[in-house]
Amino acid sequence: MAVKDKHILTRLYVVTAGLFLFAIAVMVKLVSIQLVDGEKYRDLAQERTTKMFTIAPNRGNLYSDDGSLLATSVSRYTVRFDALTVDAEDFKENVVPLSDALAKLLGKSSSHYQQLLRKARENKNRYALIARNLDYSEYMAAKEFPLFRMGPYKGGLIVEQKTVREHPLGKIAERSVGYERVDENGYYTRVGLEGAFGEFLRGTEGKRLKQKIAKGQWKPIGQDNIVEPKDGYDVISTIDINIQDIAHHALLKQLEHYQADHGTVIVMETKTGEVKAISNLGRTAEGKYYERLNYAIGESHEPGSTFKLMNLVAALEDKVIDTSSVVDTEKGSWRIYNHRVRDSKHGGYGKISIAKAFEVSSNTAFAKMIHNGYKHAPEKYVNRLMSMNIHNELGLPIKGEGKPILRYPGDKGWSGLSLAQMAYGYEVAMTPLQVLTFYNAIANDGEMVKPRLIKEVREWDRTILGFEKEVIEASICSKETAAQVKGLMKNVVEKKHGTGHRLYSPNFSMAGKTGTAQKDYVSKDPDKLKYISTFAGYFPAENPKYSCIVVIHEPDKSVGYYGADVSGPVFKSVAQKIYANSPLIDEVEIPEQVDTKLDGNFQKYYAEAQKKYNKVPNVKGMSGMDAVSILENLGLQVEVRGNGKVKKQSISQGTDINKVEKIVLELS
Amino acid sequence: MLDLVRNIKGDKAIWAVVALLALFSFLPVYSASSNLVYVVGKGTTMGHLMKHAILLVLGFGIIYGIHRIPTRYFKGLSLIALPIVIVLLVFTLAQGTTIGGANASRWISVPLVGISFQTSNLASVVLMIYVARYLTKIKDQNITFKESIVPLWVPVFLVLILILPANFSTAAIIFSMVLLLCFLGGYPIKYLLGILGTGLVCLTLFILMAKAFPDLFPNRVDTWVSRIESFWNPEDTEADYQIEKAKIAIATGGIVGKGAGKSVQKNFLPQSSSDFIYAIIIEEYGLLGGFALMFFYLFLLFRIVVVANANPTIFGKLLVLGVGLPIVFQALINMAVAVELFPVTGQTLPLISSGGTSSWMTCLAIGIILSASVKETKKTKRGTSRIGGDNPLEVLSGQL
Repeated sequence: MAVKDKHILTRLYVVTAGLFLFAIAVMVKLVSIQLVDGEKYRDLAQERTTKMFTIAPNRGNLYSDDGSLLATSVSRYTVRFDALTVDAEDFKENVVPLSDALAKLLGKSSSHYQQLLRKARENKNRYALIARNLDYSEYMAAKEFPLFRMGPYKGGLIVEQKTVREHPLGKIAERSVGYERVDENGYYTRVGLEGAFGEFLRGTEGKRLKQKIAKGQWKPIGQDNIVEPKDGYDVISTIDINIQDIAHHALLKQLEHYQADHGTVIVMETKTGEVKAISNLGRTAEGKYYERLNYAIGESHEPGSTFKLMNLVAALEDKVIDTSSVVDTEKGSWRIYNHRVRDSKHGGYGKISIAKAFEVSSNTAFAKMIHNGYKHAPEKYVNRLMSMNIHNELGLPIKGEGKPILRYPGDKGWSGLSLAQMAYGYEVAMTPLQVLTFYNAIANDGEMVKPRLIKEVREWDRTILGFEKEVIEASICSKETAAQVKGLMKNVVEKKHGTGHRLYSPNFSMAGKTGTAQKDYVSKDPDKLKYISTFAGYFPAENPKYSCIVVIHEPDKSVGYYGADVSGPVFKSVAQKIYANSPLIDEVEIPEQVDTKLDGNFQKYYAEAQKKYNKVPNVKGMSGMDAVSILENLGLQVEVRGNGKVKKQSISQGTDINKVEKIVLELS
Repeated sequence: MLDLVRNIKGDKAIWAVVALLALFSFLPVYSASSNLVYVVGKGTTMGHLMKHAILLVLGFGIIYGIHRIPTRYFKGLSLIALPIVIVLLVFTLAQGTTIGGANASRWISVPLVGISFQTSNLASVVLMIYVARYLTKIKDQNITFKESIVPLWVPVFLVLILILPANFSTAAIIFSMVLLLCFLGGYPIKYLLGILGTGLVCLTLFILMAKAFPDLFPNRVDTWVSRIESFWNPEDTEADYQIEKAKIAIATGGIVGKGAGKSVQKNFLPQSSSDFIYAIIIEEYGLLGGFALMFFYLFLLFRIVVVANANPTIFGKLLVLGVGLPIVFQALINMAVAVELFPVTGQTLPLISSGGTSSWMTCLAIGIILSASVKETKKTKRGTSRIGGDNPLEVLSGQL
């Protein structure tokens, strides 16, 4: 075959050329990937490897008017246990001490946790739930428990943190404090103050670009966030927690007593329109009451007799009548067309003045007054009401305000009966807060102030936005008219014949109007007839400080349904308690009483408290409060059962204090 | 040390290219190691760098040592080494290591040092030398096919059969390189075609057997089939994942690249430090880097041709080409895989990839080329009379 160098060389050139072509092909393909498909792959790279992460800002706090927390964000921790990652020896050694520690922290028995842990281990459970919703200090404690202190890999501790909104006041004003939720489409569900002031509280999300690295992890790109997160502002609301607490409990008590469906109380500062308390309680299927819906703002209904105030003001302004005009109550039943207007008192009140008609809340007198006064020009009547801003929503920041209904002559539903019906609060509808706003305007001598739930928006101690009093109508009626009706409202409570006389107390003054509206009256079945009991007014009667409305829906008729009986007491108890707290009581003379018994008790306590003890003292017969304070000052843990004075102490007098951990007191 | 430097012989250009590639290799290896450390969780990036450095220093030791061996000695050495290599291959295959049911017996671990060693790489070099030797031996004869079966094709097929079950691509590359060398060495083309046909028939038989009796012995037939299918199949398959990542890497690299160590795709590309290193290099250093690297390999090819041309002996020429062309060929295959010109194989990028001991075999081949590039002038000055004389090693260069 005689290979020559030349042969090799020629063949080598062929091979080299082939390799060279191969190299060129590679380079051409390279360029084509970059140029032809480049865009597609660069997009893919973008899509697969980088992602914008959002950094949640901290939500601002919601405060009451005096700076108490209504809502705040706190961290909660869920502790779980990976039973598989712990090695056998560590588990065996630590399962008992860990269970003991858990039992001490969480309150269940040690054996319960032992069983839980062992079962998790047996089932190879890597995510066994130990405890939910631990607060920070509990979480810090749990982290130091035997086994858990070895960390996630050796000790199997899994901790999940979440931020929750806490309401330090609990159920009180829960609905008014509200919440704000956002769903995956970015739609907000806004409830109460939280929802109304979400814009302030929310803050702005930060943004951070991250790049995917192996194991499904993401690493941040660059040093800074693309957008820095900005924490939400704090919002100071007008809610006064003391008044809120009073209103809540007064309402709850009454609802329970009357087995009512739901009710609401609003307390508003007369001059400024600041809402001091707003409580909404509804009954659950189990008959318990809790904050369900914001009835105060959202529920528009026929107000009934409380609307007589609006009519009276309108009629006085239009000079249709005078308070001294006399009306015949027609023996308690007045026929108009084919309809009968009845008074709640059988047989009527005879011939009475309009003033008295208001005080006794005579339907016939009001129906006749409005019907006769305006039948030739019903527009005038409605225009007057409109000039008093009855027909407008208040425009509150809280979502879901109920729409008032006020028909205009010629509107659908308007009839010849309308004037007579509207005279005692039917064929119109208003929300409790809208009614209260009107009453407040009267208390304010005609100046209608917009109810307000927010005082200030703050960032730390810096005011971002302050909110001032807003006036809806500088004057809805003349000062004279206001003074006249204020007098009548005072009489409602003070005069013996007044519908609210049962609320009368010589110690403090209040003024208002009762209302008992029928609900579902279309049905002829008397069993289905339901009532709405209302009391709206203000206190004190002179120089009013607060306005308040109480509305209770569907009280049990067998217990009672009149506004004065059902809603009045709530109003009274709110007024009374606020009165007792208000600086205005300085004007009321309370005789100084010397309570010798109380003084004696105090002397006894003081003497005991001054002594130094090494041994457990005898606290029998001492008042519970005093005993607890003495014993706790000695460094003992005290558990109290019952109320009143100490009847029994679990550890007898003379035991060495150092040997005692806990003492149980039984009071009688 | 000076002595060492003074004793560096051979083609300075090859020395330079190899040194440059070796130095450059630190960059992609270091870059890729960050991911290795994070994912595997073993070692440190510095550790990987040190390991690479040590491997390279030893590799250069090999080059230096080998290039001092006179070229003619390799004839005899190949005769001695071939049986040893076959024993090692049998031993490797007999381990029966499997990865997910597929035969992955490619490595044996060297006792004491704890380094694993891919025997097929060594076999490749030894076999090429052996074939070069055979072709030189028969250069003046008119040989019949039958005459060449026992001395040439039996050893070749023996080696290939032993490599094939665990590593198809290496076997295929060795086979084609042997054919190429035979073609260069003037072996009749008609016989080569016959051998090529035989090879294909053998492969078919092997695949059929593996398909018919999948449990007979662990093999990787399924992997080959799926890789080749995914190469032809336009739809997305599992194997396309790697290719797609490689293409993303190339596309995002642009002209000048993202810069050293800034590759993103290294986090997702398996084998980012070996099989797909070319894609990562382009991502970090751009088209310019990729072309430069290509240029260096082509330059290496050019120098190999020059060295082969300059070597006075037929054995020298064939030896240089036999061990040199596979290096360039393997480099091109690796790059072709990254740009999807070729189905996915496990071929590393010679001298760049942190392939461990496989780089030593490249060094061995480079050493042989350098040895062949040493001008024999000095030797003739010292006197050729010593051939077959004093030096007992000269027996290795004889016509065996």
